[in-house]
Amino acid sequence: MAKGVLGNDPFQRGAASRQPEATDARKPAEEKKPAAKKAKASGKPPKQAAAAKATKSRQPPAASAKKASAKAREKAAPPVAPEPIADEAMPLREPAAPVTPRTTPPARPPVMADDAAQRTAENRRVDRALTEALAAEVAEAAAAAAVDEALQGREEANQDVDRVLATELAAGMAEAAVREVLDQDSGTSPHRARELAATVAAQVAGAAGGPAVDEVLEQHASRGPLERGADSRAPLSSDEYEGHLEDEDDEDAWGHDAWGLNADADDEEPLPTSEEVAAMEQELELTASVTRDEFPPQRRSSLSLVPPVEGAQAESFSAGEFGTEPERPPPSRAGGMFALAREIAGQALASEGLGRAMGAMQGLVEAVRTGLGASGGTRVDEYGKDAALVENLQPVLDFLYGPYWRVSVQGAEMVPSGAAILVANHSGALPYDGLVMAQAITRERPDLREPRWLVEDQVFHAPVLGTLFNRLGAVRACPENALRLLDEQRPVVVFPEGYQGLSKPFAERYRLKRFGRGGFVKLALRTGAPIVPVAIVGAEETSPLLGRIPASFLGLPYLPLMPGPLPLPAKWSIRFGEPIDLGDLAPESAEDLGEVQRLTERTRESIQGMIQALLRERRSVFAG
Amino acid sequence: MRVAVTGASGEFGKLLLPLLERDPNVERIVVLDVAKPAGDKVEFHRVDLTRHDAEGELTDALTEHAVDALYHLAFLFGPIRSGSMAHELEVVGTMNVLTAAGRARLPRLVVPSLTAAYGARGNNPALLREEAPLQGCPHSRFINDKVEVEGQVMAFRERHPDTRTLVLRFAPLLGSDVDNPVARLLSRAVVPTLLGYDPLWQALHAEDAARALHLALRANASGAFNIVGRGVLPLSGLIRQAGARPLPLPGPMFRAALHALDMAGAATLPVALLDYMHYSWVADGERAESALGFVPVHHVRDAAAALRRS
Repeated sequence: MAKGVLGNDPFQRGAASRQPEATDARKPAEEKKPAAKKAKASGKPPKQAAAAKATKSRQPPAASAKKASAKAREKAAPPVAPEPIADEAMPLREPAAPVTPRTTPPARPPVMADDAAQRTAENRRVDRALTEALAAEVAEAAAAAAVDEALQGREEANQDVDRVLATELAAGMAEAAVREVLDQDSGTSPHRARELAATVAAQVAGAAGGPAVDEVLEQHASRGPLERGADSRAPLSSDEYEGHLEDEDDEDAWGHDAWGLNADADDEEPLPTSEEVAAMEQELELTASVTRDEFPPQRRSSLSLVPPVEGAQAESFSAGEFGTEPERPPPSRAGGMFALAREIAGQALASEGLGRAMGAMQGLVEAVRTGLGASGGTRVDEYGKDAALVENLQPVLDFLYGPYWRVSVQGAEMVPSGAAILVANHSGALPYDGLVMAQAITRERPDLREPRWLVEDQVFHAPVLGTLFNRLGAVRACPENALRLLDEQRPVVVFPEGYQGLSKPFAERYRLKRFGRGGFVKLALRTGAPIVPVAIVGAEETSPLLGRIPASFLGLPYLPLMPGPLPLPAKWSIRFGEPIDLGDLAPESAEDLGEVQRLTERTRESIQGMIQALLRERRSVFAG
Repeated sequence: MRVAVTGASGEFGKLLLPLLERDPNVERIVVLDVAKPAGDKVEFHRVDLTRHDAEGELTDALTEHAVDALYHLAFLFGPIRSGSMAHELEVVGTMNVLTAAGRARLPRLVVPSLTAAYGARGNNPALLREEAPLQGCPHSRFINDKVEVEGQVMAFRERHPDTRTLVLRFAPLLGSDVDNPVARLLSRAVVPTLLGYDPLWQALHAEDAARALHLALRANASGAFNIVGRGVLPLSGLIRQAGARPLPLPGPMFRAALHALDMAGAATLPVALLDYMHYSWVADGERAESALGFVPVHHVRDAAAALRRS
């Protein structure tokens, strides 16, 4: 029964095959360890500069040694249930620790030349140890709380054991997360790091509490029938267990403690842990080819794998990346869950660090709520830009602007200070161009006032999209607004193609539509603000308009048919041109339609020319 | 200085009278109303503005006391039970008041209005200045009466250039004991809004409104003034600040439900509010600041919070 359930579990199967990839992709620290030089490590591309790697690699072992002692101290104080398992985890990491620190000091001087640097490195190590200790404590507490809460109301036979296991599972995961975070941003100040670590620990532990309990309980549930089915297994595994303990001194203390603690529990109780250990160890060694669908045979085989397993375990702990032992659950659903969580966490960390990833998520959620009209924002200016939302969304915007679209800006120095009308081509089914232009000007020309862009009514009054763009800084295109913005000495981005520019099919991309009635020329003549032509290439491929779905029932002219819900990672190029020479035309010539038409056409030609140039220079849509 | 006030027991009257009582330069407050408010300086003349002979009584009272300024504040903000009665009071009453003011050669006339009279339309600029057209709201008698009154007042202003006429367009008033459609809307626990839209709203703290009214007594300017609080909030933010929760509903559903409730006579929300939940209608208070000297003290947040405290 239980076998069938587990064997058919797609989650579990996925987990088994995913595990190695996840480990591969993640840790730079892992390959640094000589012990960890496995076939696995070779698959990893040498991402970081060797020097950076060297300096970084120094820290974890020393820190973990310190952490171990610090943690031991802490552990001594609160006589709570998780104690023994936690202590077990520390010694396991110990053996590897002395190996690297001894080799590191000679290597450091080249990297950090003077004594001051040395000291700071020392300080940093201490800081790091302190931070980790703090995080461990926080994680422990948070995990205990979460687990207690999760366990409440569940009547299982081995509450104490469950609690210990689950707490340790959650805390271990939290600590691993903290270490990852700390490894990622080693440059931050100790205070910030500590704060960050504590937050991460608390959050992860808190969140992991529930699933951990589920896991442990499920483990019990699945084990009961299993053991009945395989009678021979129990004695074998207990024997193995004893042998295992004798083999491994480090584990001794924990093992006995566990025994003592679980004395009241029934005989089988220690078995899960030994199985767990063995299974986890085995999991480290096994490659993706091993299927885990057959549960009992695998367990049995795992038990016989003790000797090779120890080495693997030591490695993993010395790497300090897999975290404490109990977080490696048996090859059940937990394996998949943890691998998935790590993978996600690892990816998030790869860009900015967990804190920022969380911030980005928060920003996106906030953006969705804003679009739906339930943001409740309070920092909105009179044009509708929500400063709080923009701040929250900045990590996302940074990502889109930088690694995703790789916006390259040319000629930003052409934008004169003060009021200026930036005339650009409009493109793409969804008008990201205004947002990107505003970002580009803010980044390239921090000396200018904050730019705003004007959007046509069809976008401004579109539900969700219009609301969201408005909160991000879009202003409805009308002469009153433009005059006011120019009066405030801001650069104003206008798209004179307007709605026509958005709704042109993909085949006609980068072919400029008519430039309206030349409103921007009239504005320029009236206010004396210069006209700067701007060409944007890449926006069309970001959200190509493949077709239009009629949507008048939604109050929209059409719904754009796009390749997907997300923008494509086309490379963007923005080129600012020479300001259009208005000569010495008087403001009254804004009434002269011929003159306005002539200037409009000149601007249009200038932009079209720059677009053609950019297109010629572009070799690939996505690579640039 | 002698000041005459119509509608002294109404929303604006209640705000203004205490300030006039405290103003040492105001020696008498001539109240032209159906109810007598409390106050030492108050001199009560019972006048029913909806009566056809109200105009004569008003002229007599204004000339008899040689009034320096008239505040015409007889407008309804509470729940309107009878639309025609409200129309009678606001439009016909204003007509009477304006005729009397013309006859009495009144030096100063102050009439309140609403920024809502601009109407919430898709073609509104980000900030509405006083010269923007008053587009009103097609579904709302309440708003359209105000637009009509403003038309009368503007016509009066052209005909009587020696009467300094000030129209104060107030953003929705919020305060501890304020009763108007917006305050009622925001005092619900859950406020329905339109899904996908979150227009910008303004609000005015009752204290600021009282100050603006009082400033109009001496201001050396005439014409219309937007009287708005500091800052703007999206509707959802305003609702939250007032201690309620926004509930975005899809437009067609919301509209149908409102119309159905309206037909059934159980109208819980004015249908007209839908427009104001759809498009922004933010008025620019710059002119009130430069010409009237009115600088709002309270942010919209505070105004909404004041509503929550009550």
